[in-house]
Amino acid sequence: MHLIDVQSGLLATNDAVAAENRAMLAQRGIYAVNVMSAPGAGKTSLLERVLPLLAARWRVSVIEGDIVGRADAERLARLQLPVEQINTGGACHLDARMVHHAVHEVVHGPADVLVFENVGNLVCPAEFDLGEDDAVMLLSVTEGHDKPKKYPLMFRRAELLVLNKVDLLAMTDFSVEEAVAAARDVHPGLEVIRTSCRTGEGIAEVAAWVERRIAAKRARPAPRKAG
Amino acid sequence: MHEAGIAGDLIATAEEHLRRAPHGAVRRLLIRIGELAGVNPESLDFAFECLSKGTGVEGARLEIERIPLTVACDACGARTPVVDYVFRCGACGADTVRVATGRELEFVSIDVDEPVEVGADAPH
Repeated sequence: MHLIDVQSGLLATNDAVAAENRAMLAQRGIYAVNVMSAPGAGKTSLLERVLPLLAARWRVSVIEGDIVGRADAERLARLQLPVEQINTGGACHLDARMVHHAVHEVVHGPADVLVFENVGNLVCPAEFDLGEDDAVMLLSVTEGHDKPKKYPLMFRRAELLVLNKVDLLAMTDFSVEEAVAAARDVHPGLEVIRTSCRTGEGIAEVAAWVERRIAAKRARPAPRKAG
Repeated sequence: MHEAGIAGDLIATAEEHLRRAPHGAVRRLLIRIGELAGVNPESLDFAFECLSKGTGVEGARLEIERIPLTVACDACGARTPVVDYVFRCGACGADTVRVATGRELEFVSIDVDEPVEVGADAPH
């Protein structure tokens, strides 16, 4: 009996394509953000509110991930932004390979900001890097404040937690304090913004957060051309 | 449910390594999965069993080593386990910690039998 040494990552294929996506975006100075949440937390509604604010200053493109259908892409296309729909055909997340062609299209068109709207799911998307600069996750108050400890990887990966549907707080037993405390146990210092896509609360703050991240990316020295 | 895709990649990687090394029966594939990884070991094992049929690793056992979640502290340097997903140093309480172990998703090695010697008089 003998041993063949392998020593490779189980997601090596995805990680390699994600690195390619990241390099392509970096070369063009495009800031990319991966928006993730459970189904129905309000990702599309948040984008409908935030993207017009960003689009006033930046050229924004969206890559929309859904298992089937074009409903969300059609909603976002009303904002007069380029939207590429990707149907994962049963897969519960976007992966780097699925978005690779669409990223290629985006970097060859006019774009400053790329938004990935991931498939609604708190487990799988967390494990698949797409090549984004930042991950933003939404937690809606109707989901319950115990989620950070149930889905720690997602909360660990996110750079921003958007606490959505706060207009419904009075109708739920959701504790903002407990949710934020649990999220910061998992991810110390995690930034949190409370939003309501119905009342508009917090929308400007989310747009301002993205603006700060774009500025931070642009302030970093430009990457050398990939060989 | 992405374990099937991972199992498929795992089998493809194993076959690639096996093509390069002369070997007999393939006995075991060893992988490591960290506590924080978003992969379910039971689903992965089931997907491997289904997808390995008819491949070069059919009949091999998938051994999954679980790796506990620990953090390394930037403040005091201690390495401590994470309890209840509270990412703080277990020694000094600082929250400036990095994940030391627990994110693993690694294909470590393949155990194979020695290649069967083909005798000089064996038909080719």
